[in-house]
Amino acid sequence: MNTQTKNGYMLLFVGMDWHKGLSPEEMQKVSEQWMAWFKRLTEQGKAVAGQPLERDGKTVSGKNGRVVADGPFAESKEAIGGYFLLDVATMDEAVAIARECPGLAYGAKVEVRAVRAECPLASEAEAQLTEATA
Amino acid sequence: MDAKNEYLLLFRGKEWYSSLTPEEIQKTMDQIKGWFERLTESGKLKAAQPLKREGAIVSGKTGRIVADGPFAESKEVIGGYVLVEVDSLDEAIAIAKSCPTLRFGMEVEVRPVAEECPTMAQARQILAEALLATAAA
Repeated sequence: MNTQTKNGYMLLFVGMDWHKGLSPEEMQKVSEQWMAWFKRLTEQGKAVAGQPLERDGKTVSGKNGRVVADGPFAESKEAIGGYFLLDVATMDEAVAIARECPGLAYGAKVEVRAVRAECPLASEAEAQLTEATA
Repeated sequence: MDAKNEYLLLFRGKEWYSSLTPEEIQKTMDQIKGWFERLTESGKLKAAQPLKREGAIVSGKTGRIVADGPFAESKEVIGGYVLVEVDSLDEAIAIAKSCPTLRFGMEVEVRPVAEECPTMAQARQILAEALLATAAA
């Protein structure tokens, strides 16, 4: 697996409806600002990855993932529209970067999360297991 | 990197292990390890990382509002992500379905990675259509 950044932070862009009410020219302008922001961060070595997500998708749940539902992503205020992975040392730095997001002025939000070093899903369980058997 | 074939799996839910016995936790952790090993060996795994439960939510003009978040108790909290490269959404869904923690209530959101921001694409299309309409008039 790659991208195992020890001091990683993930920016999750929340809200896929920030463009509502904007003219297409404004939509383009904000999108261009967003891409330029990512380019700057990449050149500074602060962003190591970033991708936009399509408006559609599915949610898998239930035993054996037997429930596959369409996600109400396009209109959602809470849908994730994309992410950046940052290589910065502190949460404060990650938050400072998040505050630069061009979508904020239009209602988008940025969730800032610290990345763990170990394997997904198992890390917290491991901790609980260690506690339980201690 | 061909974004057309990449899918982001977002794992949402409360701690799957909170009501399990140590034996059940160990067994599930072994299954998770196996799941990752198989994904890695298949060459489909591009990246995967767990996220710490605590964080911040930035909002408002100039990001002036910084709140603690997400709330740890929420069943919507994203606990980690996996990025896969496969040929179709169906394949990505199949990978999501095989996640060992689904049976404990975890949900997996499967999202195609976009070539470019959908808003940019949408704007361009609107402008192109307007241009066509003007030309036809």
